[in-house]
Amino acid sequence: MIGNDVIDLSVARLESNWQRPGFLNKIFSVKEQFYIETAKDQEQMVWKLWSQKEAAYKIFNRETGTRVFNPIQFECSIDTSVFGKVNFKDKIFFTKTLIDNDKIYTIAVTDPKHFSAILELKQDHKIFKKEGLPFIRKEELGFDYPISVTHHGKFWQAAMLDQIL
Amino acid sequence: MINNLCYISGEKNKKMNKEQTIIELKAIIKPYIANNEAFENLTEETDFIADLKINSANLVDVVLDIEEKYNIIIDNESMEKMLTVKAAMAIIEEKLAARD
Repeated sequence: MIGNDVIDLSVARLESNWQRPGFLNKIFSVKEQFYIETAKDQEQMVWKLWSQKEAAYKIFNRETGTRVFNPIQFECSIDTSVFGKVNFKDKIFFTKTLIDNDKIYTIAVTDPKHFSAILELKQDHKIFKKEGLPFIRKEELGFDYPISVTHHGKFWQAAMLDQIL
Repeated sequence: MINNLCYISGEKNKKMNKEQTIIELKAIIKPYIANNEAFENLTEETDFIADLKINSANLVDVVLDIEEKYNIIIDNESMEKMLTVKAAMAIIEEKLAARD
């Protein structure tokens, strides 16, 4: 399973004030707030962690069919500047985050082996929704592939796992 | 005026409070919505994210605004359910009752 989330920093800056009193406490654990406090670029760290949570949540939502708004319990860890994890209760998600100027893009998977099987899709694919969740259809195989789509500001990303693993 | 209020029965009073809460809630969420039509036609069943297209980071602002407006604390357990107008109203009512 795969989940992705993109953030346009130039838009996040207009939409949210992460320095608002109480904001960080509502969504970030003590450990995550330490990442933020000690980051060179605090704003970037706030939204990087947020995109990790969102990408992991998309997998959780798809796997369980449940919706929750519980960002603080999707707790991030950072392993390298690119790779990290998100823990939610007994689940663990593995994340890869790429940052390029105003763009923060995280992909979450349930097995780190899947990082090598990620396919990024272009907008010309025929994407359709089943019960609110996006898929693409491979006519020749007669099979619908679950994909994850994200857009924010000027950015749009869609990703899927190559099923031939 | 005070006399008049005394005549309002419990049920009617509750209904009026509910209507009042919806009006107050609408004022709180208005800055964050991205779907005006859904906002104009808002009901208790309206979903903050699916219908009003409030982005999830702004849902945190909605929670903080509600806390400030009603002087209540919305814990994690309550916040987890806060996806619809109905859920938000139930949480406000519950926290206000616990406070009084």
